This record gives sequence, C-alpha cells and structure tokens, in this order.
Amino acid sequence: MNRYDQLIADLRSDYRPQREWGEGRGVLMVIGHFLVGIAGGTWLMASLYGVTAGLAVAYVLAALGALAHLAFLGRPERAFGMMRHFRTSWISRGFVGLALFLIGGGVYLAVTLFAPEGATGLVARIGQVIAAVGTVVIIGYMGFCYTASKAIPFWHSPLHPALYIAFAFRGGIAALLVIGAVTGAAAGAGLLEMWIGVTAAVALFFALEIHGAWSGGNVAARWSVRDILAGRLALLFYGGTLALGLIVPLALLLAPGVHSPVAMALVGLASAAGDFFMKLSTVRAGVYLPLVIPARRQRA
Amino acid sequence: MRLGMVIDLKRCMACYGCQMSCKAEHGTPPGVFFARVLKREEGHYPTPRMLFLPVLCNHCSDAPCVSACPTGASHYAEHGIVDIDHDKCVGCRACMMACPYGNRYFHDERRYYFGDAGPTPYEQACSDRYPEGVVMKCNFCRHRLAEGKDPACVENCAAKARTIGDLDDPKSTVSRLIKERGGFTLHPEAGTGPNVYYLAP
Repeated sequence: MNRYDQLIADLRSDYRPQREWGEGRGVLMVIGHFLVGIAGGTWLMASLYGVTAGLAVAYVLAALGALAHLAFLGRPERAFGMMRHFRTSWISRGFVGLALFLIGGGVYLAVTLFAPEGATGLVARIGQVIAAVGTVVIIGYMGFCYTASKAIPFWHSPLHPALYIAFAFRGGIAALLVIGAVTGAAAGAGLLEMWIGVTAAVALFFALEIHGAWSGGNVAARWSVRDILAGRLALLFYGGTLALGLIVPLALLLAPGVHSPVAMALVGLASAAGDFFMKLSTVRAGVYLPLVIPARRQRA
Repeated sequence: MRLGMVIDLKRCMACYGCQMSCKAEHGTPPGVFFARVLKREEGHYPTPRMLFLPVLCNHCSDAPCVSACPTGASHYAEHGIVDIDHDKCVGCRACMMACPYGNRYFHDERRYYFGDAGPTPYEQACSDRYPEGVVMKCNFCRHRLAEGKDPACVENCAAKARTIGDLDDPKSTVSRLIKERGGFTLHPEAGTGPNVYYLAP
C-alpha cells in the first residue's frame, strides 16, 4: 500500500496509528534515539570506569545518531533553527544537549587522544564539563519527547523518561562489554551485575508502563498494548526485545564456565539489539487519541 | 480577541462541503485535509444512527504543538490563530505527536490528484504555497479573514452549521451559542484550551 492509500485507510480507522516516527524514513528517528541513548550511557559508564576507548565509541555513536536525526528531518538544512525554543520544546533541548556533547566531548577527546599531557588541563576540563552536561541532557530528553506527545496516550506516561534513562544505562554497559571483549581488557568490576540490575529496572519500568496503559482507562493506550503484546508488533516485541534482548544475554550469562570475551561481546550486542527493538516497537505502537463525540453529549 | 468556531452537530448533515471547500480554497495536496468529516455508526438494530463529526485544527489557547515545536514555526498569530511558518519548519513532526486532535499533516513529497497526468493548472498554481518536507494545517483561512470574509468552510457550509466569532466577547454569536446550547470541546482532559466548540446533535 502506498503512503497516500495508507494515510486514507488510517484516517478511516478508529485507532489511527502514528507512522511518522518509526516507519519509512521515520525509522531514522528511532535509530537516532537509539544511537544517542547508547552514546550517553557509554560516555557515562566509560567515564566511571576510565575507559578512553569507550569515550571515543560514545562520541562516534553520538555523531552517527546526530546524522540519523538530520536525515530524518524534512528540512535538515534548517536544523540549527532547532536551538531556538529550548524553553518549551524537548526536541530543542535534545538538539542543544547533543550539540554540547559533540563540542565538549570532541574537545576532551582531542586533548586526551592527541595531547595526553593536557588531559588534566583547563581546556580538557572545560570540554569534560560541557560533555557531562550534554550527556545528562541526551540521556534524559528522549523519554520526555515522547511523554510530551499528548496525541499518543501510550507514550504520554511519566514512566517513559525513566524507561529511556534505564535504556541508556543498559546500552552503556552493553557497549563497555563489547569494547572490553574487542580490546581484550577485562570487564570492569561489577559490570555484569550492573547489567543484570539495570535490565531488571528496564523490565520493571516496562511492565509498569504496560500495566498503566492497560488499566488506565484510555482506549488508545490499550490498543497500543494490544498491538505490542498480541498484534502487529508482537513479532518485534517477542522476537527482538524478549528473545534477543533478554533471553539470549541471560542464557549466555547463566551458561556454565568462564565468561569468554566472545560471550561478553555477544551479551552486549544482543542487549543493544533488544533495546533497539524495544524502542522501535514502543514507538510504532503509538496510536492517536480517537476523535469521538463524548457519550453524554451525543444527545442534546 | 480570541477567534473561535462553533459547529452545530444537529445541523451538520455530513455533506463534506467543508472538506471540499477547504480543499478548493487552499489547494492542498492529496493526503492533506485541513478540514474533514468523521462518520461513525452508533447503536444497534433497530435503533442505529450515524454520528457526524467535522474536525479541524482547534486553535488551542494552550497549544501543545506550539510548545513542542523546536523552531517556533508553529506559532500564535493574530486573534489566537495557531499557524505554521513553513519557512521555519524543519519537518521533525513533534507537533503532530503533540496535537491530541490529529489535525496536522506532513507534506513529504509532491503528489497530484491525477497521478501520471501531472498537475492541473490549479494544482500547479497552488503547489508553490506548500513546500515539501514541512507540516501543514488549518489556519482558519487567515487570508480570507484579513479581507473581512469568513473561512471557506464556514462560508460554504450548506446547513449553516459553522459559526466563527470572538470567544472573548460574551455578546458574540459563538459565545451565546456555547452558553445557551452547552457547547463542548473535544478532549478537554488534554488541557489544551481548544477554541472549536461543538453543539450536541
């Protein structure tokens, strides 16, 4: 079905799915959010564990995420105009945060990698602080972008920001596991335990969000839950999020014997892939509030 | 002055006159409907009935689309009309996710009603108004209001179901209709302060 016919069919349906974010070129926005989220988490975790390679990976991921965001826009050449309304717009705040991260992180990395003697100097410190502010913003803003979407009851939940922040942490840990396996460095102390803890938090937040949407009384939110658990997105959710993102990593972690670098890399990659499918399915599950005459107003 | 509209659902007969006149006035591309009419069947045999609901941008007083817009493209124009500056829009579509009424459309690529036959002279003339890669919506026909005319959907409503006027003026027709007939808005729980009111069917 072409885009026009799809739109007409959607307009006729009782529960109109949003297709602008998450389908067609809209997938680029989900990819952008996914990459930027992992970048924020990786920068944070790499700073915590002192992994310079992690900082570099985070920077590259953020840059790729920024490119994905730009490619999603209808008019990317006007992107700098997005800084104007940071007082009210979460998209604008995200843009500012990402810009700060790329500028500050770039300065800090350049000094650390190319002039290590200046790594504790003023320039590096300023870059580090700017990058830290950017990190906080890019980890936090995505969930709020969705929560601010009043048209989509399933997203319009106070739990969404918490879920996205937890995703960023999980992504950061997953990235460190992969980096550790590739560079041959041992995984930082407690990293696996942290992955299990954060994964439990993600599962809890998601379960609470699903429960809230299902029991909250909004028909559009219920429709979204139905789409995820037993509808058009069930394959993405069960196959991508649950099987790939949860069962595979847990099976690798619970397997008897020493955790090899390859196994750790697979845990990280599967975890990150699961996060992507989780984000994709929740974004695609968005259904607009139906427009109906309230029952008590149907007769004068 | 706060411009608002009242739509009398008792008068509306779902003739699509508003939708068609809006299309004709603005020359919007396929897939873009500033005004549209929703139809729904209610009840069961032997007492089913059709409910008609004409919808358009609600020009909310606390418009979430304006807050969500990162560039200021979505803005309040004169008399509280919510409009889009196409020269500022980046096409991020955050406004579409913010609008609880789903009355915004993304113009992703140029399309014409007769496909391979190309644009009609009218479509050609109108296409310059709507650049690609931006979001579009109803603006209460600001150009007509500036000329002292009513919006096209109001002017062409055969049943005179639509009335436009100043909601801040308690003596205006719209204020009187809302007061006397118990006008209601769609999704008041969204807290957006919509300025399009409906009178019960």
